[in-house]
Formats: sequence, C-alpha cells, structure tokens
Amino acid sequence: MVICRAGTVVLGLSLWFASGCTRTPPTAPTGSEVAPQEVLTDFAATVVNPNYQDLQVKSATLYAAVAQLDSVASDANLVIAQNAWRAARDPWEMAEGYLFGPIEDFNYDPSVDTWPLDRTELDSLLASANPLNVSDIDLLPYSLKGFHALEYLLFGSGNAAGLTSREKQYAASLAESMMNTFTALRNSWDPQGGNFTGQLVNAGTGSDTLRFHTRKAALLAIVGAMSGICSEVADEKMEDPLVHRDSTLSESSVSHNSTRDFRNNITGVSNAYLCHYQTNGRSLSEFVSVGNASLDARLRSLIAAALASFDNISGDYEQAIFTQQVQIHNTQAAIHSLKDALDNDLTIFIQTNVQN
Amino acid sequence: MTTFRVCITAGVSALLIQACREPQPFPDDQRDQRLSGGANTVFDVSAESFGHPFPTLSGHDLKIHELGDTQFDQTFVAAPAPVNSGLGPIYNNVSCSSCHHNDGIGIPTAGDPQSALLIRLSLPGADAHGGPLPVPGYGNQLQDKAVLGKSPEGKVIISYTYQKYSFADGESFELRTPSYSLVNLYLPQGGMLISPRLAPPVFGLGLLEAVPEDEILSLATQGAQNGVNGRPNYVWNPVTQRTELGRFGWKASAASILEQVGLAYNQDMGITSEYFPTESCAGQSQFDNLSDDPELADSLLVAVKFYVQSLAVPARRNVNDPTVLRGETLFRQVGCASCHSETMITAVNVAFPAVSKQTIHPFTDLLLHDMGAGLADNRPDFQANGQEWRTAPLWGLGLFASVNYPPYYLHDGRARTLIEAIEWHGGEAAHAKGLFEQMSKSDREALLAFLMSL
Repeated sequence: MVICRAGTVVLGLSLWFASGCTRTPPTAPTGSEVAPQEVLTDFAATVVNPNYQDLQVKSATLYAAVAQLDSVASDANLVIAQNAWRAARDPWEMAEGYLFGPIEDFNYDPSVDTWPLDRTELDSLLASANPLNVSDIDLLPYSLKGFHALEYLLFGSGNAAGLTSREKQYAASLAESMMNTFTALRNSWDPQGGNFTGQLVNAGTGSDTLRFHTRKAALLAIVGAMSGICSEVADEKMEDPLVHRDSTLSESSVSHNSTRDFRNNITGVSNAYLCHYQTNGRSLSEFVSVGNASLDARLRSLIAAALASFDNISGDYEQAIFTQQVQIHNTQAAIHSLKDALDNDLTIFIQTNVQN
Repeated sequence: MTTFRVCITAGVSALLIQACREPQPFPDDQRDQRLSGGANTVFDVSAESFGHPFPTLSGHDLKIHELGDTQFDQTFVAAPAPVNSGLGPIYNNVSCSSCHHNDGIGIPTAGDPQSALLIRLSLPGADAHGGPLPVPGYGNQLQDKAVLGKSPEGKVIISYTYQKYSFADGESFELRTPSYSLVNLYLPQGGMLISPRLAPPVFGLGLLEAVPEDEILSLATQGAQNGVNGRPNYVWNPVTQRTELGRFGWKASAASILEQVGLAYNQDMGITSEYFPTESCAGQSQFDNLSDDPELADSLLVAVKFYVQSLAVPARRNVNDPTVLRGETLFRQVGCASCHSETMITAVNVAFPAVSKQTIHPFTDLLLHDMGAGLADNRPDFQANGQEWRTAPLWGLGLFASVNYPPYYLHDGRARTLIEAIEWHGGEAAHAKGLFEQMSKSDREALLAFLMSL
C-alpha cells in the first residue's frame, strides 16, 4: 500500500512536471516590437491624416471640374465632373472605415453624405428664386447637400444640355461647400490645426482634457469604428435594397457607384488594420501578430476575403440585387465573419493585452 | 427496512422545507457593482457605448432591435417621396439620431442641422387632462424649421452670461446662465411660457419603464425621511388614453416609451403615426393638406420603440479604485443619493424576460424635485411646477464625453462640466451642494471620480 501510494504520488508529480515542461507559459505579449502608442501615432499619421488630405485635394479638383461645367456646359466637361465626383468619393468612403472624432463631433459626415436626398425639396428649391450661393447652400438641411445632391445633378440629367443654369449653379455651390467641409475636416486632425491627432498620440498620458483616458480606449475606438462600418455595409447599405427588391434604396443609385462605395468602406477597414494609406506605418496587425500570430493571420485573411468577394458582384449593384443575390449574400457573409472577429477576438485581444 | 423508510421520509421532508423557503435577495456586497443595467449591462467605453442591444435579447428580438436601430438613423424628407416621406411641414430635426447622436445627449443649440435643443410652449393654465395649455397657432412645441415655402414657427436665440466662482481653497469654476428668446414668430403671440429641453440619452429606458410604480412611490416616502420631497408626476398618456405615472423626459411628462417615441416623431419631425395621426401644424397656415397620414408604418414605430426599450446600459469602470470608493461614500454622506437613488429592481415580466426582475443602478428616483430658482423654467408640466425637475439618471455619466464631445449636462445643456452641473443644483439639493462646496479639494475630486465611474 505504501509503495503503491508513493508510486502514485511520484507518477502524479512526474506528470505535473512533464505537463509544465511541454507547455509554453501563457505570458501576455509585451508588445515590445510594436507599442500601442506607436500604433496610435502611425494610425493618425499614416492613415487618417493622408486620407483626409487626399479627400480635400480631390474635392478641390471636383469643385474645379463642376465650376468649369457651370462655365462651359459641354458633355466632355460633364464627364470630367462625373469622374471627379467618383474620385472624391473613393477617399470619403474609405474614411468611413474610421468614423470617430471630429467627423462625428462636428457632423461633417451627415453634412456631406446624408441619404436619402430630399428630391421634393430639391425640386422646390430649383424652381424657386432662392439664392444658390455657397453661403446659401451652407444653410440648407443636410438632405439637400453633399455627395448625393451633387450626384443627382451630375448623373441625373443624361447630358450637359439637360442641365438648367440654376442646376449648374447649385452644383458648383454644392461642390464648393463640400470642399470647404473637407478642408475643415482635414484641419481638424492636422497637428498644426485642430490636432485631433494629439488625442491619439497622447492617449493614456493622464491629462483630463484627453478624449481617451487610456490607449486601450483609443484602440477600441478604432476597432469599434471598423466594426461599425462592417455592420453598416452588410446590414444596411447592401441589405435594404436587396431585401426590399428596390434599387432606389441603393446608396449611390443615380451614379451606380454603390458597389465601389461598399468596397471602399471595407478598404477603409483594411487600411485601419494594416496601417496603410499610400504608405505603410506600424500597424494594429503587427501589434496583434506579436501576441497572437494566428489571430492576425485570420483577420488579414477575413479582410482579404471580404474585399475579394466584391469581385463576384458584376455590373451595377442596382441590377445585382435582382440577378446576383447569391453573390451578394456571400459578400454579406464574408463581412459578417470579419465583423464577428473584430467584435470578439480583436476586441478581447486588446482588452487583454493593452495595459492602459 | 424501517430505518431506511425513516431516512427517506426525513429526506423528502427536508426537500419540501427547502422548496417552501422564500428566495432571499442576493446580498448587496456580493453583487458585481459594474452591472448598472443588471444582465443588460455592456462593457464598452467607446463612442458606441450607449448604442448596444440588451445582451439577453433573443434572435428574433435582436432583429427587431436592429430594424429599429436602422430606422432611428433614417433621414425624413419632404412629401411626396418614395423613401422616408413626410418631413414637416414644420419640424425641429430630420431624424432621431440627428438629436440623439450616438444615442447620447445632444448639442444645446437651436436651428442648426445638428441642434438638439427645442422649446416647449404653453399658456398659463391647464388643458382638459391637466397638461400644459397649448398656445393657439403653436401647440406645445416651437418647430423652428420648415420645408421650402412654409414658415417656421419662429427662431430661438440662445445667449449666455458668464460668472466666475471659486471654492474656499481657491479652485475656480464658471457658470453660464442661458437666456432664451423667440424671434421671427410667424404669428404674433404674447404671454407664452417656454421651457428649453435638450435631447437626453436614450439607453436604459426599457429598464426604467419596467420598475414597478409602487417602488417609485416608496422612494417618495423614503426621500421625505431624508429631508427631500420627491413627488410623482401623473400625466395623460395619449396612447393608452389614461392618466399614468410619468417616467420619461426632463419633467417626467411622458408615461411610456411608445408615447415618447410617437410624440417625438410627431412633434420633432412632423411624422404622423397610428397614435399621433394628426400633423403638428394641423389647423395652422403651414398645413400640407396631403392625405398621406399616417406617414410612419406601425411596424417601424414599434421597432423604434423596441430599439429604445432594449438599449443596454454601459458598465461602471474602476469600481474598486480607492478614490472612487471614497467618492461613493461621500456621495451618500452629503445626500446626493437621497434623490439619485442607486438601486431599483424591475418587475417580473414574463412577456419580456430581458427586463424581468433585474437589479439596476440608474441613480434616479424618477420623481420630481424642486431644484430652485436657478434651474426653473417656470412652466408647469402636468403636476410638475415651474421649479421641479425629474431626478436625472446618472448611469453612463462618465461616458458622456466619449459618446459625444464636448459633453453637456442638465436639461438645457448649460453645464459643461460635472462641477458646473452640481453647482446648478438648488432647492431641495441646496444642502447637498453646500456640503460639496465645503469639501476639501481631494474629497471633491473623489466625488467626481465616483461620478465618472458611472
């Protein structure tokens, strides 16, 4: 009995030690290769500021193109203005991947991208003698301003000859108002201006005036915004026209730019995670890979799969809702998988591995 | 054999005794203090922290919540239109989220697209149900926007005067006193009583609606023992066509979430629905004469009502921090908790289990209190007199700045910091405020740290 008991104890201890020796101790990653502050600093410097700068530049090009159309109403100038609208739309939709800070605080988002457009009011405005200078446009409700009002004017007429003088003047003032808004948006993050960049760079340094009392909160704000746009794209922008079989519910139905809009939204998510906009910085991806390489690989794979899935939707989204429902469902599923991983795995990783 | 039977009998008896024992309340000291919304608490500190569904919703209920969430953000446009038709003709804003941005408190401006402050109107006296007496040609609310070709009822001018104050230890603060005037009125009208109201946060309302009336009334009795005089507001509910306990709004003038949501669609956006089928400007020169009412489908109204009803409460933070704990003690000692009552228990609700029998910490008694002349609007609202306001819930207070920046506090957003909000307290709260002012700076900071943990 004694021997037996002793043997049991020895065997048990051996197993315990063996078990201890074969496992890698579950130590929390230090993130020494990429510190959370580096991620936040580079996110602001490499992604958001260049994105907003690009947006401002392209909105100035758009304004110039629409002003030229107002002066010389040729079909060639109308096409140039339409292309400029699409070109400015790209960085805007990408920026929706990180919709927090001044873009929300100061309502820059609804002031340039409210949907639906109030066509009844727009027609009443055009039929009236109300002035249409940019100062008048600035006072209009959001549903008469921004991308979709301009889209309606630039893409709705068919050709330049179909545009009335008031429509052209309205379009030019709309484009100028948007350019002014994007200039203010860019300045709000510019370290030499409103410096919201400082809110991320200095997050967690103890000042009471900071938006983010911890770096963890700042990183979670980024992830929350990434998740938010996934939900908006899959569950609202794509879902509403699909489930109602109604192409007028599509976001950019007049220009047929909707699929491009959706893809750019998810590109914004990719940019935020990989710290990329024209150039690369120290990324959330690198930070995650230090502590959980398989999670990082999975997130990158899910982002790539969601983006690639848009290639399967051919032609206009407004037609695809009737003819390519399987492909649309597959894209929605890919975005849902990405959102789930952001909401659960990435959020928990940050909560667990970022100290303050 | 006999022994065996005896054992079985004893065992069954013990089981029966056990089964008959009344369940006892879970001891407070063993509760997780972070769970402000009971099982419907969410752990998020971001700008989205007020916008999460109850974690306990069924899949079916979650779908309705999401439908309501989408609808909450929808922009209404002028009629006729294929999508979201019916805005106005006179209105205050174009969507729920225009004022309740991120489901939080709004911006205290009027007339701008992002403005979230409106003006309630009435004449001296009461209507047939004891409510505010409508102003002929205006009703009970000033709509300061209109579709093209129609006249807004007027414009609100807000101005502030600023005054510096300091505590005995030299720390200074500034209070701004608002002044409201109505200009460009579309009809001449004098003698109107006006009350500014800022769009409040909308999370946790389903839990507050689920608190039994008896429990709220018992707080009135308890408060009286502590030298405060909380009173229930009984209001006319146009949905049920009955007089009921008011729970929602800065003066507890709405009895139910459905009433509050339907009224907001009707008065704030000019959107008619089953319960409010008449345009806000009916009988006025701005009336559209369209036969398009109700403009909002019942299913969507109910979905938005359910969305608001099922918005979860953000969890407290730093509940074990020594400074926060000291602040919590001070909060009780100086008497804040006499009105900002910490704990409520919701009623059993088999129809909606998510809100059933939840221990919640809203820090309100849902009762009216005299808050002094400084905050008074001097406009009665059912049984609330011109100096009375409903105790505002404090849950989520520390996240206001994360959700909408900069943060604003109180019924008209005049307070920009928590110190300012405290310093505006008067009337029944004057004694507690006096004790706050006598605190050392470190004690004041501890109390504020506690408030920021909510």
